[in-house]
Amino acid sequence: MRSPSYSVLPARGLRTVVVLALTAGLATAIPQAQAQSDDTPLAAKPYMGWSSWSMQSSKYPGLNPDGDYSYLTEANVLKQADAMAQKLKRYGYEYVNIDAGWWRDKAWKPSFDAYGRQKADPVRFPRGMKAVADHIHAKGLKAGIYLPVGLEKEAYGDGKVPIWNADGCTTADIVYDDLRTTNGWDSAYKIDFSDPCAQKYIDSQAQLFADWGYDFLKLDGVGPGSFKSGDNYNNVADVAAWQKAIAATGRPIHLELSWSLDIGHVEDWKKYSNGWRIDTDVECYCNTLVTWENSVADRWDDTPAWTRHAGPGGWNDLDALNVGNGEMDGLTKAERQSYATLWAIAKSPLFTGDDLTRLDSYGVSLLTNREVIAVNQGDTPPAKLLTPSDPQQVWAAKNPNGTYTVALFNLADSPAAVTADWGMLGFAGKASVRDLWNHENLGTYRKGITQALPAHGSRLFTITPRGTAVPTTAYEAESPANTLGGHASVADCSACSGDRKVGNLYLGGKLTFNDVVVDKAGTYQIKVAYVSGDPRSLDVSANSGGATRHKFASTGDWGTVDTVSVPVKLKAGANTITFDSGSGYAPDIDRIDVPKSSS
Amino acid sequence: MDPRSPDPSRRTLLSVATTGSLAAALGGLPAFTASAAPQRPTTSPLLTGSDRDGLWWQAPGDEGSLIEQGLPVGNGRLGALASNDPGRELLLITDATMWTGGLNDTLDADGQFPYGRADFGSFTLLARLTVDIPDHDLSAVTGYRRTLDLAQGVVACSYVRSKVTYRRQVFASRPDDVIVLHFTQSGGGTYTGTITLEGTHGETPSGAESFGASFPNGLRYGAAVRAHSRGGRVAVNGSRIDFTGCRELTVVVSGGTNYAPDATTGYRDPSLDPERLARTKVRAAATHSAGTLLRTHVADYRDLYGRQELSLGESAADQRALDTWERLKARFRDGVPDPELEAAYLQFGRYLMISGSRGSLPLNLQGLWLDGNDPDWMGDYHTDINIQMNYWMADRTGLSPCFDTFTDYCLAQLPSWTELTHRLFNDPRNRYRNSTGKVAGWTVAFSTNPHGGNGWWWHPAGNAWLCNSLYEHYEYTQSREHLARIYPLLKGACEFWEARLLTTTLPGTSKEVLIADSDWSPEHGPQDAKGNTYAQEMVWALFGNFCVAAAELKKDTGYADTIAGLRKKLYLPEVSPKTGWLQEWMSPDNLGDTTHRHLSGLVGLFPGDRIRPDGSTPKDIVDGATAQLIARGMNSFGWANAWRALCWARLKDADRAYQLIVNNLRPSTGGGNGTAFNLFDIYETQPGRGIFQIDANFGTPAAMIEMLLYSRPGHLELLPALPDAWAASGHVTGVAARGGFVVDLHWRDGKPTSVRLRSVGGRTTVVAYGEVSRTVTLKPGESVTLKGFAR
Repeated sequence: MRSPSYSVLPARGLRTVVVLALTAGLATAIPQAQAQSDDTPLAAKPYMGWSSWSMQSSKYPGLNPDGDYSYLTEANVLKQADAMAQKLKRYGYEYVNIDAGWWRDKAWKPSFDAYGRQKADPVRFPRGMKAVADHIHAKGLKAGIYLPVGLEKEAYGDGKVPIWNADGCTTADIVYDDLRTTNGWDSAYKIDFSDPCAQKYIDSQAQLFADWGYDFLKLDGVGPGSFKSGDNYNNVADVAAWQKAIAATGRPIHLELSWSLDIGHVEDWKKYSNGWRIDTDVECYCNTLVTWENSVADRWDDTPAWTRHAGPGGWNDLDALNVGNGEMDGLTKAERQSYATLWAIAKSPLFTGDDLTRLDSYGVSLLTNREVIAVNQGDTPPAKLLTPSDPQQVWAAKNPNGTYTVALFNLADSPAAVTADWGMLGFAGKASVRDLWNHENLGTYRKGITQALPAHGSRLFTITPRGTAVPTTAYEAESPANTLGGHASVADCSACSGDRKVGNLYLGGKLTFNDVVVDKAGTYQIKVAYVSGDPRSLDVSANSGGATRHKFASTGDWGTVDTVSVPVKLKAGANTITFDSGSGYAPDIDRIDVPKSSS
Repeated sequence: MDPRSPDPSRRTLLSVATTGSLAAALGGLPAFTASAAPQRPTTSPLLTGSDRDGLWWQAPGDEGSLIEQGLPVGNGRLGALASNDPGRELLLITDATMWTGGLNDTLDADGQFPYGRADFGSFTLLARLTVDIPDHDLSAVTGYRRTLDLAQGVVACSYVRSKVTYRRQVFASRPDDVIVLHFTQSGGGTYTGTITLEGTHGETPSGAESFGASFPNGLRYGAAVRAHSRGGRVAVNGSRIDFTGCRELTVVVSGGTNYAPDATTGYRDPSLDPERLARTKVRAAATHSAGTLLRTHVADYRDLYGRQELSLGESAADQRALDTWERLKARFRDGVPDPELEAAYLQFGRYLMISGSRGSLPLNLQGLWLDGNDPDWMGDYHTDINIQMNYWMADRTGLSPCFDTFTDYCLAQLPSWTELTHRLFNDPRNRYRNSTGKVAGWTVAFSTNPHGGNGWWWHPAGNAWLCNSLYEHYEYTQSREHLARIYPLLKGACEFWEARLLTTTLPGTSKEVLIADSDWSPEHGPQDAKGNTYAQEMVWALFGNFCVAAAELKKDTGYADTIAGLRKKLYLPEVSPKTGWLQEWMSPDNLGDTTHRHLSGLVGLFPGDRIRPDGSTPKDIVDGATAQLIARGMNSFGWANAWRALCWARLKDADRAYQLIVNNLRPSTGGGNGTAFNLFDIYETQPGRGIFQIDANFGTPAAMIEMLLYSRPGHLELLPALPDAWAASGHVTGVAARGGFVVDLHWRDGKPTSVRLRSVGGRTTVVAYGEVSRTVTLKPGESVTLKGFAR
């Protein structure tokens, strides 16, 4: 039986986890700590929790009194775990994640055990890492830990360090002879998995974490990604090895990848991990935890290409959600709400980096809004961007129960009205609107809803349609009835309708649909199916009117089609609609769908 | 705070009023002064129905966007930009006299004036008022709507929070000399929050209800606030005022300076304590209900606003359905005329003038409105187009009384301008000094402040342009009183030019002409050219105006003859055989920037009236002016477009004039040239950086009227440049015409259907439309309606 769409209860999938456990042949080997975890499969929903990195990386007064990144200590982690258990656990927050540095002293000098495995720094974690996990588990929470990908250079030990539980293997066996480096900082030697010793090393690390009782591992600096590309930085084999090693421990350990993972390898990330950071660090490394410009706001541009890839088992990770204390976060109230809204609707993991002992009341209201958490945790798809990537945006998800989750965003630096037109959602007539942040039914709206949003502000609604679907008429870009200008030309495109599109829309290249017929004059939400490997802009105009320039988000690559709604004013009868690259480079156009009625 | 504090005693009011009138009799009346008890309307002046001139929006402004999204209010002296944010109403409050700087009479090494915020000075903010209502955060309210009711002069917003509808009105009352914020609700809601009044110059607060301080230049200033409620409670709490559970809340704020427009007192009224006066004013206003204050304000406002109605035709239903910002965007994007929006743009200009130009200093580069203390060009008075353009529309749009601040300002500055000219103009380092060695009368620099001071470079012909503007007001109003007031300015300017003009012989002829000494044609080309068209045209008009004034006032007959003689010898520009343009310099070459913003070489076309396309001006001169105007292009920014539109209106080119108006209505985004969300004109001074400069908000309406009616003494022309967009039908009332008439004009299908002339002093005039003309003779006060032009 299906659970209700908005359920946040972990009742679903009980049977699935049992099957998985049996498959792994480890049903009897589940460690003690497992008893404290629920039995959902890993990453069935975006995980919720807390991470140490935001406070570690901040220069906010008092956080890192003993030098950069010195915040990370057992005392601080347990303080946060206690606060989470007390304030947030009942809303679904469960992971307490220790980030970089647990094996490094406050001068950032690392410690390793006799087998080249990271060892707890005795000053930061005097009782070792297991004691921390035990404490966390005792609070009914889960524990997360961290590693950079590769063999850290300091662990190499002239190649003579033995690998645990691998007779004859030493560190020299697991890296390349030329000691080529890898990861986002080049801080490790790339591991050569053609030697079986290499897997053994990963196995030895995974076993350590399982023994300590960790439930989560963030593997950082992973490429392609982490601002690196090329063979030396291709860590797909490392990630695969980690998945295998974790499975071998018998302990369910969530594997999260970081940072700015290459979308070209998304199938690898989906296959081997439970989540992947789509972007760089959200932290500003400044006097607050984050700032809007550096780099919260980037997520609105970068998320759309990834939306299609999120789902149970693996989620798009937008990084820490630092909305709990306005002064420490460095954000306005409006920015904090928008931040939480995007994370919720994109189905990003919801882990905060805030000081949970110092949440302000507005922060608590953001982090504990059950209706918003339900959007993130429920059995609903991630919202996609319905509009161009302009300062005023509408994102929406169609839910299994026929409602829509709709978010309005104003990314401009000043207040603006933002409209969600029901035509963008594909229906006409009325709909009832519930305001999730404010827990309020707003009533019935015809045609759409317009709200005033503050600078960098947002609204989050559940829309229940009371109207009817609007049929559309498709016009293919490659139709011979259209006019191509400049360099524009028809090209093959297997993902496109009709297997063709119009491309080469650059430096004056343009495409005109010549005979777009509507019955009545009005503003129509034209659905534009386009392909663009990077964000590009386009001037859209109808008939002899002036053009409006819109930015189109990347679709991820040049073989993927996405669709956004663009308002165009049409007259009754035949119209022309023109897509003009102007003085720049524009996306390729697959087709447009014109609704039968205006908005 | 006790909302029922007793009225100030009748006796106090009387004594205050007596002091005020005494000061008026003695000379410059302080801009911020005790006023007599306001006249309260006996019947409600409030308008009902939906046919008023309304602008509306669906978003407020915020702290960072007030210059583009704040809505202006003002009582002619005291102004504010209002954010109308539900959770935080923010008013940035200004007083027209709130200026730093001073006389600034130590020349720089080049003989020009310093131009900094400390020496020359700057227009700055008086105060900031916030009304925080935490529960009404914008992210928590719905159905937000904001209006500017042009017909009544009221800014308002409304929104719903938890099923309660909250409404807010903000207006600036001239009779009560306060800004009023009135918060109401329907549905059982209340207001809880805090009111904070503070200065913006690091003042030490003296309590929640007022503050006072002074600038290094000795200018004292202060402001005060008072609040009362129905239901709940209002209480001072340290440096703020708390209100709790109020069903209705009224906040009144006032403030000002001890500026006095009087050079003999150093532009100060030493006896005036602005903080104390502000407290008196808000205490007096707070004894009245918000409704009473509103009715008093609306009656006063409508007396001016109601003098002009304008219809340029009907807009379509889909245009009317859009909020003002969306409508501006649609107007630009769709290229479809929106006559109601275009008419509202003009009425917005009138709203700004009524709000910003009464009883104090004139409108500066930003009118009366600021979002900080460092406005570009100090928010000063620029004498080479900007202050003049600000007032081109006053008479044309029925707001002749608003012109007076301009006149008052020039008169109050004249002693200082005269003294500085005598003392400094012939400084040997000044490249523009008189090579005759003589100096007389007065002139100004490109920038002037209210402290008698000049800034930036000397601007010899600035005196003529100021005088010509003041004289035009006489042509419109035929007010001898006004003419008598400005006469000393005209005469002093003539004396200046009499001392400055040089005699030269035109090459290849024996003809002796008078030319202006070394100068700059604003604001391009050589800085040492003699006989520039700009100065020649300005002085030619000045001399003519002076002669008429002297004759009218029966003064200085002999001197007027001298000036008339000089005028005959003035060199006037020729058409360049090289470019075909009317020459801007005494050179056939183009010595400047072809598409430069200024039209300094075309001042004889507009605002001057020497070059007329009616056969009275040689065709080659009209053609040369037209050619230069074409070369200047159509794509400049605000005031430059407005000036071009006025020139094209004079040349009866409706299409070009209209296109320039449309160009100014382009929505400004990302700092681009055009019209902001709040309809303020934005000038992109560098890529991505737009600033507010108000002149186009006035210059564009002036052009719109000039397209509908051309006038000069004895001659009116109807619909000289009516664009197709407005041709179907329309009307305009209350347009002043040079020569002393007020005109109401109706048209249909591009032709006048009726025109009513009322004489305010004019007697005989020709009224022309196309080839048809009639002569009308009226006595002052009489009127006549003419029909039949369309036949």
